[in-house]
Amino acid sequence: MESLSLLLDGFAGALTFENLMWALLGVLLGTAVGVLPGMGSAMAVALLLPVTFRMDPTSAFILFAGVYYGGMFGGSTTSILLNTPGQASSIATTYEGHKMALNGRGPQALGTAAIGSFVGGIIATFLVAMFAPAMVRLALQFGPGEYFALTVFSFVAVAAVVSNSVLRGISSLLIGLAIGLVGIDSQSGAQRFDFGIPNMLDGIDIVVITVGLLALGEVLYVASRRSSGPDLSAIRSGTPWLGRRDFARSWKPWLRGTAMGSAFGPIPGSGAEIPTFLSLGLERRLAKRRAARGKGVDEFGSGAIEGVAGPESANNSSAAGTLVPLLGLGLPTSATAAIMLAAFQQYGMQPGPVLFERNADLVWTLLASLMIGTVLLLVINLPFAPLWAKLLRLPKPYLYAGITMCSVLAVYAINASVFHLVLLLLVSALGFAMRKFGVPVAPALIGVVLGPIAETELRRALAASSGDPSILVGSGISIALYTLVVLSVVVPLGIRIWRGRRAVQAAPIRTDEQVNG
Amino acid sequence: MSTREPLNTWLVGDDAPEREPDSQAQGTVATGTAPGQDASGAVADAPVEEAVLPAAAPDPETTPWTGPGAWVFPAVVLAFGLVALWGAATITAPDPTPPGPGFFPGVIGGLLVAVAVGMGVVNVRTARREKQALAEGRPGVSAKIPATEWSPVLIIALTLAAHIALLDFLGWILAGSMLFWGVAYAFGARHYLRDAIVALAMASAIQVGFSMGLGLTLPGGLVELIF
Repeated sequence: MESLSLLLDGFAGALTFENLMWALLGVLLGTAVGVLPGMGSAMAVALLLPVTFRMDPTSAFILFAGVYYGGMFGGSTTSILLNTPGQASSIATTYEGHKMALNGRGPQALGTAAIGSFVGGIIATFLVAMFAPAMVRLALQFGPGEYFALTVFSFVAVAAVVSNSVLRGISSLLIGLAIGLVGIDSQSGAQRFDFGIPNMLDGIDIVVITVGLLALGEVLYVASRRSSGPDLSAIRSGTPWLGRRDFARSWKPWLRGTAMGSAFGPIPGSGAEIPTFLSLGLERRLAKRRAARGKGVDEFGSGAIEGVAGPESANNSSAAGTLVPLLGLGLPTSATAAIMLAAFQQYGMQPGPVLFERNADLVWTLLASLMIGTVLLLVINLPFAPLWAKLLRLPKPYLYAGITMCSVLAVYAINASVFHLVLLLLVSALGFAMRKFGVPVAPALIGVVLGPIAETELRRALAASSGDPSILVGSGISIALYTLVVLSVVVPLGIRIWRGRRAVQAAPIRTDEQVNG
Repeated sequence: MSTREPLNTWLVGDDAPEREPDSQAQGTVATGTAPGQDASGAVADAPVEEAVLPAAAPDPETTPWTGPGAWVFPAVVLAFGLVALWGAATITAPDPTPPGPGFFPGVIGGLLVAVAVGMGVVNVRTARREKQALAEGRPGVSAKIPATEWSPVLIIALTLAAHIALLDFLGWILAGSMLFWGVAYAFGARHYLRDAIVALAMASAIQVGFSMGLGLTLPGGLVELIF
């Protein structure tokens, strides 16, 4: 109950006029970037990072948190109306959501998505507030060896499990790790990979990397497929509305989705994709069973409201869940979380157990503003969803020109140096290449942020044991983490091979076709 | 071949059905299997996914690389790896305690090179399958990927380069307007005058917002000299 009173203190801190304004600005910005295809909350936070550097850290994080949640919200709107999921986490919503829109039930789909996100967001954020202290108590027992094991776990989880192609995911992670090496080595003071350029001694600024990989890389990629981009002109919407019958059908999927999202969110590397699809699959199964028993109809495949309600609440609750490892351990499990970690570092704070001791007011205010942000999102999304859809009619050239301008500004604002802009150009080229060749970008960001931490902890551990590597597996916690690493590689591999075998047995010709064309 | 295929498929990541919700549910939610369900699971293959999501282009993350372009990314990875290895070998530390500053770069460099080699192996296999498919008169894998339009990409890259080179000289308002106009042009805006006015308005708004709201100064350049 200690957490509860701390959370109430947080509400007291968050409910100032200024902080409410930042939360409102954050959710508006977040929803806007979430609605626009190809843009996500990660990109918005990256662009805001240098601008907020002069702000009070609490206000900055309230803004970021609003953007994070708003992005999730906005993504559902395009998934339903346009069948174009803005990010991987909204893919599950498209299946039933877009069919509902096609059947003229768009308002109901938007309504259940908005309320479902609200339910998921509120419950999961509350759970985060309750569980974060427990995570902190665990984290206090961590030494360098355990922290290193933790970073290895999240590397493997992010690169190998989330990515659709393991090799490409690992290559992205390693490139990120390599970029993170640039600059003065914090342990020995040696200059590394500075290529004789004094500007490189501080390392490549995280803003340059995030803006280049996420924002400009995306602009270049969209430009390269100008003619095959989604057509945004054919959108119809209505004011989201949920009748009593739809509400009755939605509330159980909301709670089930929330449970799944909260369970998977904190696990490094699980992302929002897994719980949303699990929720969709579960709702489909339950509907089938209900129909078999004669209670209700199975509308799956032709626009079932349960198939929107479940995944949407799973999506938002898993977004909240990623805050548990971020705040409690300093471990980012998504691209946005990685940038938020970088933001903490910019303010000279290190997320983890120490953060709860030194900056407790900030953490609890942040958690409280997340809940406030969720309420704000419901308020602005229910009546204004049609307005958000209009945002898609913004002329594409101006939209992307504006993003380019903001990207350049964001980087220039770091320290008004043209050199950083040159680096930005190079990183954007890399980001474009990664998109063009289908290499995921998120592992690279996590590598850049976590790489230096991993190296420091590894070398600290080895220095403490004077070079004896057995310290790395010297405690129950690290052994458990390495076991998880092995499991998280072996289990998906096993499932895929098993599934592949089954597909081969069931339809040998089809498998061949699938591989070839 | 069919026995080796699954692992290979897993490495390339060529498993579009991964995202098919039915197969997800079957893999994880264990309930009594009705007779009809197994059949639906087997049918739930790539074609269904395409039918469900007509607007979504084939996922680039799972599309194998073909043609000469297939070697670009492995080469990039290899280059990163070689630079990291070179660094590992040449970095000198004042105080060489057991894992010195060259240790981590060495590990990363080695892994990068290994991944580049792995990508090369996958490429060779894909090329072999592609050849076989063409020989049998089937369409190759490359047919699905939308072609890259290079001219807008080059225009944007050149505009950015020009913006960076001229920023200090021209000042933010002019260089920023030029950037906006150039990118809009690359994206197909052809109302030259209107685009220029929008660009100038955006750049000026940002200049005012930055210097007034945030206290950051943007370079004034030529405009500053005139006024």
